[in-house]
Amino acid sequence: MIEFKNLSLVYPNGNEGLKNINIKINEGEFVVIVGLSGAGKSTFIRSVNRLVTPTDGELIVDGEDILTHNGKSLRELRKKVGMIFQSYNLVKRSTVLKNVIAGRLGYTGTFRSIFNMYPKEDMELAYENLKRVNIENKLYSRADELSGGQQQRVSIARVLTQKPKVILADEPVASLDPPTSHQVMKYLKQINQEDNITTIVNLHFIDMAMEYADRIIGMRAGEVVYDGPASEVTEKTFEEIYGRTIREDDIRGGEVNE
Amino acid sequence: MSNQLPPKPRTPAKVVKRVIILLAVVALYVWTFSSVNINWERVFSERTLENINRIIPQFFDPAWAETGTILVKMVETIFIAYTGSLAAAVLAIPLAFLCASNMVKNKFLNTIGMWILGAVRAFPEIILAIIFVAAVGPNPFAGVLAIAIGSTGMLGKLYSEVIESIDMNIIEALEASGANKMQILFYGIMPQVLPEFLSYAIYRFEIDVRASSVLGIVGAGGIGTLITFAYLNRNWDEVGMILLVIIIAVTIIDQISGFIRRRLV
Repeated sequence: MIEFKNLSLVYPNGNEGLKNINIKINEGEFVVIVGLSGAGKSTFIRSVNRLVTPTDGELIVDGEDILTHNGKSLRELRKKVGMIFQSYNLVKRSTVLKNVIAGRLGYTGTFRSIFNMYPKEDMELAYENLKRVNIENKLYSRADELSGGQQQRVSIARVLTQKPKVILADEPVASLDPPTSHQVMKYLKQINQEDNITTIVNLHFIDMAMEYADRIIGMRAGEVVYDGPASEVTEKTFEEIYGRTIREDDIRGGEVNE
Repeated sequence: MSNQLPPKPRTPAKVVKRVIILLAVVALYVWTFSSVNINWERVFSERTLENINRIIPQFFDPAWAETGTILVKMVETIFIAYTGSLAAAVLAIPLAFLCASNMVKNKFLNTIGMWILGAVRAFPEIILAIIFVAAVGPNPFAGVLAIAIGSTGMLGKLYSEVIESIDMNIIEALEASGANKMQILFYGIMPQVLPEFLSYAIYRFEIDVRASSVLGIVGAGGIGTLITFAYLNRNWDEVGMILLVIIIAVTIIDQISGFIRRRLV
């Protein structure tokens, strides 16, 4: 369970990233955060694994206030909270396998990881996770030989190899085309349901948010302006969140028919 | 509707500045050329022609008999360059990290690193060679030290630029998965920088082969020693042979290193 208690974040330049957020996210929920760019979605998500540090309030993850974590305890937190990025963030010159096994770094000693001495179970786990996202045939390819959608699937496999309790995804489909976007979201949803991993995704496409989310949180100017089950959300709700009418580029479209 | 571009803004101050710069540059050239006293008569004298006729043909009639000795010294030159640039390729890494502002987030330390590299780069290899000949005696080791120190300056600078251009998002991703600093170095940074490091090191080796062929002139080992002896004795045919060997060796090394470098990055 993740709980935001009166959480605020002011950047050193005076920008208010988050304003007094109070939110409770239950275990196993699939939450989509929507909002225009600059609304604080990224700051919200990055607070959970402390890539940014909120300046005020409390943030409880798995029963601990994470704002005081540093060094070792911070790395322990990050082992539990996996993250997926818009630009995939794979090491392009390394193989797919090497990228995926990097998910075990937090669990592996420095010496063992430098000399690639991973336990057999870890290698098998990495391979199994590549199978889950249907990319196991690219095991020994260099990451830069893969298409965007394939790279994002590898980064999902990397996160899974980390065996996280929470997955954060910061605009995971913003660089992909519509069919690939749906594919990636489907994998995230499937993993969320099968492994009961709490998943928080940033999106700005309203149709995708409605399709995949259990719950939608709307943000504007660092504040939570909407919080409710996805089933109750309509286009009207989005117009309220965005503070303007819905445009064509707010909709991803292109549902895949499998 | 006219598609005419609006006129480029031109302030009088800018025009005046440009005219002043132009006049200054012209004045500099006039002053330079007028103060060089070239004795044109001597340059085109009978004696010059005679010297050219006497010496130049000897270059093209190399002393093949000396091939063995010259090749041995050429190999020594290449070894000096190799050992020196290898040492520099390693020495430059910690200095490069110190200079890279995305690795060491401390302006003061970055500046110190830059100063060290800058100071090292300020010495030409031949001066370093003179210093090391004085310190360790007239042998190839002095040459190796001169090459190593001289190359560290350039490689450190180039390496630090490579480090500063890496994709920091990957570092963020590894941090977010709970990796420690050493693991980030080996999984996130090294794969991104190593091919380029290697490429620069090989390029520097190319330069060092050329640099180390003159180090022998000050007694720091290698083929330069032979050049000194040959020209002091006016053995121009031997100088010709040495030049031929250097040209061939450098060309071959350039070709090989170019081939390797293309495949690396």
